[in-house]
Amino acid sequence: MIEKALKGTRNYWAWIASLLALIAVGITAYNRQRWFGLTVTGMGRDISWGLYIAQFTFLVGVAASAVMVVLPYYLHNQKVFSKTVIIGEFMAVSATLMCLLFILADMGRPDRVLNVLLYPSPHSMVFWDVMVLNGYFIINLVSGWTVLGAERRGIPPPAWVKPIIYLSIPWAVSIHTVTAFLYAGLPGRHLWLTAVLAPRFLASAFAAGTSLLILVTLIIKKVSGFDTGKEAREKLAVIVTYAGLINIFMIGTEFFTAFYSNVPSHKHSLQYLFFGLEGHYNLVPFMWFSLILGLGSLAVLLVPGLKTSPKWLAAACAGLVVSIWIDKGVGLILGGFIPSPLDEIVDYFPTLTEVSVTVGIWAIGMLVLTLLLKVAVAVKTQE
Amino acid sequence: MNKERRDFIRKTGLGVLAGICASSGLIQAFALEETVLPAWDEKPVPGKIRWGMLIDTRKCRQDCKECVAMCHHVHNVPDFGNRKDEVKWIWKSSYEHVFPTSTQQFRTKEVLERPYLALCNHCAESPCTRACPTEATFKRWDGIVSMDYHRCIGCRFCMAACPYGSRSFNWRDPREGIKEASVDYPTRMTGVVEKCNFCSDRLVKGLMPACVESCPEKALTFGDLNDPRSDIRALLESNNTMQRKPELGTKPSVFYII
Amino acid sequence: MRIKKMLLLIAVPVLMLFAVVAFFRQPGHAETAKAPPAPVAVDSTKCIAPAEYMRANHMQVLYAWRNSSVREGNRVYIAKNGSRFQKSLNTCLGCHSTNRLFCFNCHMYANVKPKCWNCHLSPMETP
Repeated sequence: MIEKALKGTRNYWAWIASLLALIAVGITAYNRQRWFGLTVTGMGRDISWGLYIAQFTFLVGVAASAVMVVLPYYLHNQKVFSKTVIIGEFMAVSATLMCLLFILADMGRPDRVLNVLLYPSPHSMVFWDVMVLNGYFIINLVSGWTVLGAERRGIPPPAWVKPIIYLSIPWAVSIHTVTAFLYAGLPGRHLWLTAVLAPRFLASAFAAGTSLLILVTLIIKKVSGFDTGKEAREKLAVIVTYAGLINIFMIGTEFFTAFYSNVPSHKHSLQYLFFGLEGHYNLVPFMWFSLILGLGSLAVLLVPGLKTSPKWLAAACAGLVVSIWIDKGVGLILGGFIPSPLDEIVDYFPTLTEVSVTVGIWAIGMLVLTLLLKVAVAVKTQE
Repeated sequence: MNKERRDFIRKTGLGVLAGICASSGLIQAFALEETVLPAWDEKPVPGKIRWGMLIDTRKCRQDCKECVAMCHHVHNVPDFGNRKDEVKWIWKSSYEHVFPTSTQQFRTKEVLERPYLALCNHCAESPCTRACPTEATFKRWDGIVSMDYHRCIGCRFCMAACPYGSRSFNWRDPREGIKEASVDYPTRMTGVVEKCNFCSDRLVKGLMPACVESCPEKALTFGDLNDPRSDIRALLESNNTMQRKPELGTKPSVFYII
Repeated sequence: MRIKKMLLLIAVPVLMLFAVVAFFRQPGHAETAKAPPAPVAVDSTKCIAPAEYMRANHMQVLYAWRNSSVREGNRVYIAKNGSRFQKSLNTCLGCHSTNRLFCFNCHMYANVKPKCWNCHLSPMETP
């Protein structure tokens, strides 16, 4: 089936070539990082996680959002999603792959990565995260590929794939819950030490990930003419709207608890992120931009009629993706480290090397997604 | 052959550290740790001993850095001169940084301005060992939170988990930052986390921790918290002491007399 | 079209190779000796095990020593003949560092690059 990815237009190949170029840039930068150590990144003793872990957190959400099409299609028989399901699953595959690559890029000794399996430590959330992410990767790849292969031959999918698909539904919830538990169980990091973190992760995932899915279906429609259906997109937009609203609501509850209780350690990170703390205002413009963009995008989705226009829908979805990327991918990770355990404030700026590696990993993810979707579209349109 | 070998040594730069040692006069003092039986020659019983430390901050002098210097020297802790790549096992800080959640109102000026030592607390309920995915950092039989540098994958989870900022990561090759190498203890390598080991390397030779030994004011007391007759327990009973962030339930083994 | 396919078929494996090389590449000492190692005569009355055994199994011994002494605190090794040794790399080097090329001779010949010397002092570095 993979041979279908080797047949494409000039633009397809130009896209592939530019992704390969970006991957080459990323690998060169990573090579530099392996040689000199993680000192080439902006991370340091006080802010010991940065862009990589931030991308990882955001992308786990993208991966988990596949459940928003798998669940209604397989459990509730919503036929309207019949063409979208495979796109959601393949997006989950590439997002999970990127997650794993970002973890690898962040590790000081990636050559010892197998130690996680050689010395399994169930008391560590990382162990569980590695388990569920790899599991999710395999589940989605196997179920998506098998169903697509059956469709190509015009036969119903084999019976054994059904349980795997059903398994993917709770599994999607588990990957983002465990990812939230990575942060939510650490004493002394008050921005993360909140029971609402896992629910908030899920809500923001279903908003941003599903938005990204809508955008991808719009792009596919534009470049290949394959339309997954306007109705499907509008139904997804409803999910995006409610998930986005719930996410904003939960951000609000965080503010209430921190500021009404008036406990300094609970307030500090939020103060740093949104108002600046002791003369440090680095992230303040980003956080307000994220908040206003998020609210604006949700407003567009809430106005009746606007979301039926593909342009408005695309704008609102893109706005929400950017908003949540900043909130979850930048604010949450950096905010957790500021102030430091010794109540000191250190600012973080990613370096060019770090950004190049990040771009390279995104390019790998997009390359895998492009190839998988090329096959999917070719099968669906029976080229 | 001999010349080839010498060239090889020179080219690979492996002789550099040896050169440093020789030039710093360590060559006479040099002795590889002797092959003698250590103080404990059996597999120890877990939980019998719990090493702890008591810091009498009233005795700590503003201008003195003996403990930091000795600790960092004997353990080959690198110094790169910048905050981002910093590696430290023990350091001096101020009251508001070491005890950010403790009372600061109406403390005397003298108490607020006194230097306070910060180091790994070797918590009885250590969050770092819980977070480690490979058990590279683990709770030893004697209460010391230890690092197995052979196993660390450098994920830095323990750094996020430690509420005391006691852990450092080797962002770059530590050997570049060691001015005077000590031959008694290995260095670390790029990409692993390190921290205070409560001088487990010295305890096994029957020596007191480097910071305790080097303190000219004898402000540091080290001993077994599980032994009711130990010096440290006597001092804990006769003084009002404090731990860092006790509200987190980590049960630090380092105590402070304010 | 054929050219584009070729592009993909060449570029992807090349990039993967790059990535693998980047992943495993490390600052190291990449020089290999030409001649096979010359056998060195050593008084082995105080050895922890016979030389033949150590030649084949030193890595397993070091691995077991490291784990039991670092992690369990069991620091004493009792040899077959009843003599007792401290489980430490320094025990080995206490005798063997008289030969500066101990370790290196064979490892260079066999092109094996253990990471011990990234942290521990090697016989070449010991003064």
